[in-house]
Amino acid sequence: MDRRLRDLADQLDAGLIARREFLRRAVVLTGGTAAGLAVLRRRASAQPKTKLRVWLFKSFVTAGNDVVARQIEAWAKERNVEVETDWATFGDREQKFVAAIEAGNPPDMAEMNLYGPMRYKAALRDATKIATDVASAKGGLLPFAERAMKLDGKFLAVARYSMTTVFFIRKDIMEAKGLKPPKVYDPDVVEFARKTQDPSKDLWGFGQTLNRSDDGDGFMSNILWDYGGGVWDKDGKPALGTTFLKQNAAALQFAVDTIQKHKIQPPGVMGWTDPSNNEAYMAGKLVTTNNGASLYYAMVSKKHELAANTLLVLTPGGPAGSFVGSSCYNWAIFQKTKHAELCEDLIRWVEDEKRFTEYLQVSVGQAGPVYKARVDNPYWKSDPNYDAIIQNILRCVNIGYPGPMTPAAAEVQGQKVLTDMAGRVVVGGLSAEAALKEAHARVEEIYKMRRT
Amino acid sequence: MATPAARLRASASLSRATLDLSLARVLGRDYRLGYLFVLPMAILVLALVAYPFGYAIYLSMTRKYVGVAPVWVGLDNYVRLTGDGFFRRAVANSFVFTFGSVAVKLVLGIAMALVLSARIRGRSFWTGVLLIPWVAPTVVSALNFLWIYDYSLGVLNYLLVRVLRLLPQGVGWLSEPGTAMASVIAVNIWRGFPFFGISFLAGMKAIPAELYEAAAVDGAGAFQRFFSVTLPGLRNILIIVTLLSTIWTFNDFQIVYILTKGGPGGATQVLPVFTYEIAFGAQRLGEAIAVALYMLPALAAVIIVLARYMRRGQRT
Amino acid sequence: MSRALARRLPDVTAYAVLAILVVVVVFPFYWMTITALKSETQMRSLTSMFWPDPVVLDNFRHLLQQTDFGAWFRNSVTVAVSSTLLATAIGTIGAYGLARLRFLGRAFMSAAVLITYLVPPSILFIPLYAQIRNLGLADSLAGLIAAYPSFTVPFVTWLLMGYFESIPEELEEAAMIDGASRFGAFARIVLPLAAPGVLAAGLYAFTQAWNEFLYALVFITDVKLRTLPVGLSSFITGDVYGWGFLMAGAVLTTLPVIAAYIYLQKYMVEGLTAGGVKG
Repeated sequence: MDRRLRDLADQLDAGLIARREFLRRAVVLTGGTAAGLAVLRRRASAQPKTKLRVWLFKSFVTAGNDVVARQIEAWAKERNVEVETDWATFGDREQKFVAAIEAGNPPDMAEMNLYGPMRYKAALRDATKIATDVASAKGGLLPFAERAMKLDGKFLAVARYSMTTVFFIRKDIMEAKGLKPPKVYDPDVVEFARKTQDPSKDLWGFGQTLNRSDDGDGFMSNILWDYGGGVWDKDGKPALGTTFLKQNAAALQFAVDTIQKHKIQPPGVMGWTDPSNNEAYMAGKLVTTNNGASLYYAMVSKKHELAANTLLVLTPGGPAGSFVGSSCYNWAIFQKTKHAELCEDLIRWVEDEKRFTEYLQVSVGQAGPVYKARVDNPYWKSDPNYDAIIQNILRCVNIGYPGPMTPAAAEVQGQKVLTDMAGRVVVGGLSAEAALKEAHARVEEIYKMRRT
Repeated sequence: MATPAARLRASASLSRATLDLSLARVLGRDYRLGYLFVLPMAILVLALVAYPFGYAIYLSMTRKYVGVAPVWVGLDNYVRLTGDGFFRRAVANSFVFTFGSVAVKLVLGIAMALVLSARIRGRSFWTGVLLIPWVAPTVVSALNFLWIYDYSLGVLNYLLVRVLRLLPQGVGWLSEPGTAMASVIAVNIWRGFPFFGISFLAGMKAIPAELYEAAAVDGAGAFQRFFSVTLPGLRNILIIVTLLSTIWTFNDFQIVYILTKGGPGGATQVLPVFTYEIAFGAQRLGEAIAVALYMLPALAAVIIVLARYMRRGQRT
Repeated sequence: MSRALARRLPDVTAYAVLAILVVVVVFPFYWMTITALKSETQMRSLTSMFWPDPVVLDNFRHLLQQTDFGAWFRNSVTVAVSSTLLATAIGTIGAYGLARLRFLGRAFMSAAVLITYLVPPSILFIPLYAQIRNLGLADSLAGLIAAYPSFTVPFVTWLLMGYFESIPEELEEAAMIDGASRFGAFARIVLPLAAPGVLAAGLYAFTQAWNEFLYALVFITDVKLRTLPVGLSSFITGDVYGWGFLMAGAVLTTLPVIAAYIYLQKYMVEGLTAGGVKG
């Protein structure tokens, strides 16, 4: 840079001259505006930009991740903000959140799962205003999502989408046997499975683990409700081994029977983790299984030959009806942030209907609606299998049901109390009632600690 | 002729020398270089181990949720754990996991050392090869075994059922309570035995050849030589490596977490995984740390024994 | 049994045991490698289990071209090499101090170093993260370089204490009579003799640093600053494991350490021999 130009720039920095004056004099010095403008531009970019740290859920829908990444990038450019994104998947999220919160170094905002806002509420900023704004622009929240995001009348986070589980059926096998989709677990699923399975060919009628895993835990909650039971009563008090003992015992017994008595599950099922049923199904070893949209996504996106032979139907039920636990991914803003407005702005940006639809288009049914206006998106008519997803979402209930969703309910889920309980029966040889009573003691303890 | 100033300097240096001498008497002969040399280590231990460790001990005596200030509860967490069935089971599992694993590693390690000290071709190459499990990232190995153990697509069942025809049907290695613990132990053994092997190999090299010659002159066979020369010669290293491995295995988190997460039904729930569940599943940091520290006295005993043997090792 | 055979029996047994051990050790790696080379369809169909048919290089290509694998590799090298140098330097002088020099607090310090073994890393990382942040090292490779010696220095120190003990003290005394300072004797006489031990200790520290997962996961949030083990685990998305892809990364992560060890293992044995493990 010319020395005189530099002196001039220093004067500009010191506030001795205005930008216009700087440019005028620069023209005089260099005979054109280009050099002066270049200096100004360089200065603008050298200004330390505001930096926003955003943690995102690394979904199995990788195309969706790319869409979000692009949208955030575009926003950052538009607002002249630097964004640092960090992606974490199911297993790694919690330790990162805990360590960051404890070290006083949380991100500015994060995408969380259903339990996140309840779990980290102490570190989160009240999101009532932005959540209400966003919801009212989209016809309001679906009731389950509103209950999941709200605690004591305040919103903890802004709902984004719901990733529900559905019942997967091998359509080709079902049709070959002339069967219809089962409506209840007992006896429909059992009979369906018996008629379709062929253990000698390692083909099993039903694949549903009761092992410590999100899959196992979700199934256990659902089946307790299906039999008229549950972990909590209407007032949110523990009921697992007391009020609902009879119903819960019947449900637990049935879950165990699918493995031990009915023998409709593959031998390794008690050791399954979340990916196991996906793999077994895609390897053609299962006729039916419960899973989220991830399995369908994996098949469709890889053009797997079973994608066309797969039917998604409503989750089967029991004597008291058919229940599905909710899911509600969301945006939470941390108290510590110095850029709350930017965070809110970013949330509005990605939740804008045009951008959300872009995300929805690639989600293969993963990005289920949490806002009323999103239920009618034509996307949900684009594949008949999506109907089950929508219907399941519209009827889903939150953990804590029939009581309210509470931090204690989130912790019971987080500690995997229900799958531990099932394991005590299958592996430990306890009776259903004994296992329920043992688990009830754990629930009581969590309830006591979480209330104080 | 010394000027007064020079004399003063001389007496000053003399008194500094006396001071130095008496300091040396108190602080030890080499205290200057000694402290200088140990200083970086002391800083490291204080800043990155002692302080966090002290803080952890404090937290274990509080009720502490994530993001909320701790509330002092004294020894409550420890008392409650003592009566907790799940905790007790985790303790029992931890012992099975640790001792089962260490015992087999010991035997395999001796076998490895004996083989590698025998007259074989390409010895150094094979030494390198056998070290692979110990140097490969644990995350990688654990994921690899998860894949090998897989019920339907895993190669282990394929081998046993279709190739060797030893079993009529595959086994859910990680899902049966009977095989789950053995399966995770096997992975820990696989990963850990090479360290035993290479340490014993080193130990055997340090045994004077004359001892073997003398034994051979006395007409001792291979077995007798092993029991009368090799094993006694390895005694110290055997104890040290076993104790070290006991601590490492006891604290091993990744293998069990990746393979079973403590399942099925808590059959492989060991203390580090239990700690993790309470910290991140339940968000009770105070209690989680109490779980981690509960066994500290037992491990401390191991350390004390270890320290004694190591000092004895140094004296010889 | 002929006498010739009887004489060769130990060798035959040795080869047999060696063969078993090698198969047990190598097979999982073989399996990892062929998984990386198989097509998705072949993996799910249980055909040609032990040889990829056809050989597919997509996983590797994708890994190198479309992920930050290269950056992760560089990060891992940076962190492992720097923290190894740091840990070995601290451990070497510390071990010499503890083994040879007389000063008050020596016994206490030896014990303190050993006790650091007791601290379970699965829980320590929370307060440690706070500490790293206090030092202004959060979300930087420097944070990992500073943190890793906390678990490698104790072993390095222990190994080298034994090694220094095994070097006759008379050598240093002779050098000091010839006018060398205590430090000079250490630097010019003892250190060169201890080279195999230092190398073995360094190799150990390097391996531990190369493989570390938890601290790297928690302390680093910038994708570009990840190390290999964390980068690898980030290929797991949700509940869908891309085994082929994962294993391709695993192969490339493991190869450098294996290559290093096949070449350097003799130093490890030598270092351990004269070091802490002598009988």
